[in-house]
Amino acid sequence: MIESLKINLCGVEFKNPIITASGTFGYGLEYANHIDLNKLGGISVKGISLKEVKGNPMPRIMETSAGMLNAIGLQNVGVERFIKEKLPALRKYDTKIIVNFWGKTLEEYIEVARVLDGEDVDMLEMNISCPNIKEGGIAFGTDPKMTYEVVYNCKKVMKNKPLIVKLSPNVTNIKVFGKVAEEAGADAISAINTLLGMAININTRKPFLSNITGGLSGPAIKPVAIRMVYELYKTIKIPIVGIGGIMNYRDVIEFYLAGASAVQVGTANFVDPEIPIKIIDELDNYLKCNNIRNISELTGKVEI
Amino acid sequence: MIGTVVENIKLNDKYYYMIINNKDFVENAKVGQFLMVQSKEYDYINDPILRRPFGVCDVDYDSGDFSILYMIVGKGTMLLSTFKKGSKIEFSSPLGNSFTIQNEKNVALVGGGIGIAPLYFLAKKLKNNNCKITLYFGGQSETDIIFLDKFEKFVDEIVVTTNDGSKGLKGLVTEPFIKNIDYYDYVYSCGPKKMLEAVSKICINSGKAVEVSLDERMACGLGACLGCIVYVRDNDGNEIQKRCCVEGPIFDGSKVIWESVCRG
Repeated sequence: MIESLKINLCGVEFKNPIITASGTFGYGLEYANHIDLNKLGGISVKGISLKEVKGNPMPRIMETSAGMLNAIGLQNVGVERFIKEKLPALRKYDTKIIVNFWGKTLEEYIEVARVLDGEDVDMLEMNISCPNIKEGGIAFGTDPKMTYEVVYNCKKVMKNKPLIVKLSPNVTNIKVFGKVAEEAGADAISAINTLLGMAININTRKPFLSNITGGLSGPAIKPVAIRMVYELYKTIKIPIVGIGGIMNYRDVIEFYLAGASAVQVGTANFVDPEIPIKIIDELDNYLKCNNIRNISELTGKVEI
Repeated sequence: MIGTVVENIKLNDKYYYMIINNKDFVENAKVGQFLMVQSKEYDYINDPILRRPFGVCDVDYDSGDFSILYMIVGKGTMLLSTFKKGSKIEFSSPLGNSFTIQNEKNVALVGGGIGIAPLYFLAKKLKNNNCKITLYFGGQSETDIIFLDKFEKFVDEIVVTTNDGSKGLKGLVTEPFIKNIDYYDYVYSCGPKKMLEAVSKICINSGKAVEVSLDERMACGLGACLGCIVYVRDNDGNEIQKRCCVEGPIFDGSKVIWESVCRG
């Protein structure tokens, strides 16, 4: 156990603040043969919905400069199969399980939240920010009234687990959404989800993705994410989980200085599954060299 | 994994061949598997970001060397071509499923262009199992026809075709293949989608088993990103999703729903 990296997020004790981001780490089990899952602070699993979802037609991914576009379409096995087939195996690892979830309607959000709240998981993460599906998802994350309604109503049925609300960067003012989610009862905010993007094949003159547009992730979006975490930190009191293009420990420190209390590593898991583990070791070293007792001391310490 | 570049050779105007040393990789690599290769020498460079998938072309159990074949098509492969002998290179462990290796059968290998890569490793294994092997090798033109001297040691017959007639027979590789299909017990194929589809249809019509190696765009290669989905028919005829990286890249050619295949 690395003392300098232990954190408490909404009453949940994490051995370190490195969480793998939803959509980039499957159900965790896909990575079990490639890295030691026990070393991770937490795993945010692929967004779970009430019923199984098959996702968008191919092609679904395209690499872009220092990043990638994806339009997977929230493909997942549905909440029932997740609980039966994935969760028991995942729970065997000594890491915190965050279940990312979403719905096509308000009622679906509430039902999935209610079911998962009664399961052996550590936290829930509400996805109101996926840009790649027609119904639900981002519609709830780009209208403050709908954000309030979905967060408030899910919190009402959740008796046990803390709720993280994952915000969309595809809004004019993210502070409004952070504030609304906080007022509606969110225990933490995670930011940011992918930025809506597009790429065109100049030979065929067709978009590279069948969905036409997709979510941009990777180092390309990090400055946007840092700015948004900084804005949120100045606006809300609940903790912020920073996400967006983290590739190494320097990126993690940057998110902390902007205002993060934990981070999620996303696209980097595709690049090299060892990256989250490398980051943990490098962070410990950085904190030692800089005489910082615990990483939490860095939250919001950017000097303006 | 990290390996050392033993050689990084320009074969001709189109193809490059890289030999990498890593004993662990070689001991674990199965025929038909692929690996994700990091095309940058320094991990603080973020562009291009994703590793690139390549089929395992050859392994040498004595030296611990393995090889990949590539064409320069973009940033990643351009950078890959700049690796010098002796430099370190990062890559994944061997990924995906593998070809089934037949015993003492008459087999056809049908390769198109860069799809020849995994068929070389396969030919060696099949030869070991006393198969009688014909290689059908098709390309756009002469530049695509490589490795013939290497293959000669392991296959019994080689049939070459090029679209422009600059080497071998003029036309598509499926033309000589279909004429001789009755002779074979088992068929393996790797290459462009249209060729794989045509080879599979020929095999279905003749009642021959066919394994194809597919090459979809992938981010992780580990089954997590769901970017490389291929639709196949299960035994009851239902359309089901497979991840090319984990449940593939080798598929029963008679089960693939070709409209769902994106690449090449």
